[in-house]
Amino acid sequence: MTEDLPGHDWQEEDGLHINVQGLQPPEPMLGILGRIESLTAPAQVTVHHDRDPIYLYPELAERGWSWEIVPGAPGEVRLILRKRP
Amino acid sequence: MTNAALFLGGAKQRLLPASLPFRFFVTAAVFHAAAWATLLAAAGDLPGFTGSTGLVLAALHLMTIGVLLMTAMGASYQLLPVATGAPIGRLWAIRLSHLLLVPGTILLTLGMALSGPTLMAAGALTTVAALVIFTGLAIGNIRHAGKAMPLVAAHGWGALLSLAVFASLGLLLVLDFSGGFLSDHIGLARAHMLWAAWGFMGLLAFGFSQVLVPMFALARSVPRRVGWIELTASLVALFAGGIGFAAQIPALVILAGVGTLAGAAGYLWQMRAALKSRMRKRLGTPFVLIRLSWVMLAAGLGLALVVLALPSWESGPALAGFWLLVGWLLSFLTGVLQKIMPFLASMHAVGRGGRPALQSDLTLQAPLRLHLICHILALVLISAGLAFSVSPLVLAGAFTGFLGSLGFLWFAIFVVSRLR
Repeated sequence: MTEDLPGHDWQEEDGLHINVQGLQPPEPMLGILGRIESLTAPAQVTVHHDRDPIYLYPELAERGWSWEIVPGAPGEVRLILRKRP
Repeated sequence: MTNAALFLGGAKQRLLPASLPFRFFVTAAVFHAAAWATLLAAAGDLPGFTGSTGLVLAALHLMTIGVLLMTAMGASYQLLPVATGAPIGRLWAIRLSHLLLVPGTILLTLGMALSGPTLMAAGALTTVAALVIFTGLAIGNIRHAGKAMPLVAAHGWGALLSLAVFASLGLLLVLDFSGGFLSDHIGLARAHMLWAAWGFMGLLAFGFSQVLVPMFALARSVPRRVGWIELTASLVALFAGGIGFAAQIPALVILAGVGTLAGAAGYLWQMRAALKSRMRKRLGTPFVLIRLSWVMLAAGLGLALVVLALPSWESGPALAGFWLLVGWLLSFLTGVLQKIMPFLASMHAVGRGGRPALQSDLTLQAPLRLHLICHILALVLISAGLAFSVSPLVLAGAFTGFLGSLGFLWFAIFVVSRLR
């Protein structure tokens, strides 16, 4: 149930978006991992964060996800996550 | 660019070069083995230990400075910048603090073992120099944390205040071994232990647990209001106990006991709430140790109150101290290190196809199981040996503890070997 998870999410044409800005560690990690684990099909996920979440990356790697930092709004760290085939 | 290179590039302000935290962790693993080996040599003296110089005091400080403080410094250098979002400061200063802490620990504990005041003083001064550098770096970082993580930062300030107090008292106690100028050496030694174990290590453990336990268990944040109550009770315990022990005021010592119990209750409540909301169901060997540490925290504090009420129980203080030092703090820190070392290593090591190495590939189960079994056996055997004043049980416990420490060292060397 994603409504129980920290942060909020919405769907756009390019896939699921997750906003975890303003949350204190480790809630962003929980908000992101909880949502991507509930995805049933391979997908692209866009994460809106306010810091480079360095402790998230080992968890993503463990779950077979890759990530890329892309330009975002001022003060935002935007990540594109992709499930590796 | 690989994922690993991408995030290392983006986070180099906050992610230290691997060699920095790992030099503290591996050194701690070596001192861990040295501490158990020294205790093995001193097993016969442990039941009646009252704080005088000798092998037991050396083993105690190999454990507290060599393992607990060494780990706390390495972990703080890596975790603080991630928690606060601010850089930790100059990397050469981190290297220097390690370069000072290692010989400081060796000289101090050698001086204690040989009852050599000059060696002890040289070791204490070198250790304090390392702590001054650590304190300067930590203050520079934590003052940026206030708005981001006020509860973690407040625990950090409490730990740094405690560090200043216990290091000053420790230096006085060492100088008193040759000068004999203190009117109540034992009272100040008790205050030194309280500020070191409950103040510095305890507050750091409580503070970092606010982030680490939910992160490892993938759980919701811990209840913060309870965290502030825990911190207040812990600080009351520190000041009441510090004055109570030094000035021999029993009412203040009892207040300190109540304060530590209230602080521990608040902390354990937070941890229970975190684990109840966790997403990760299988927490593995590290959390067996972490949960054991929580049980031993409650049991050790309860036993310490019994010891206060029964001053004629000769081995009571040693047993309560053992439960708190080895049962609580050592179990907690070795459990955390078992999680954090592969976790940090996976950020630096590059696996197949240029992808980040997986944490699961950087963990070795056999030595961790060996360490876990031996650690628990050592706790049981030494506790029985102390409770019934049976030295062979203490000897057997110290031997199993030493075996376990070799398992932990094997694990630490394995993780570091995967960094290359």
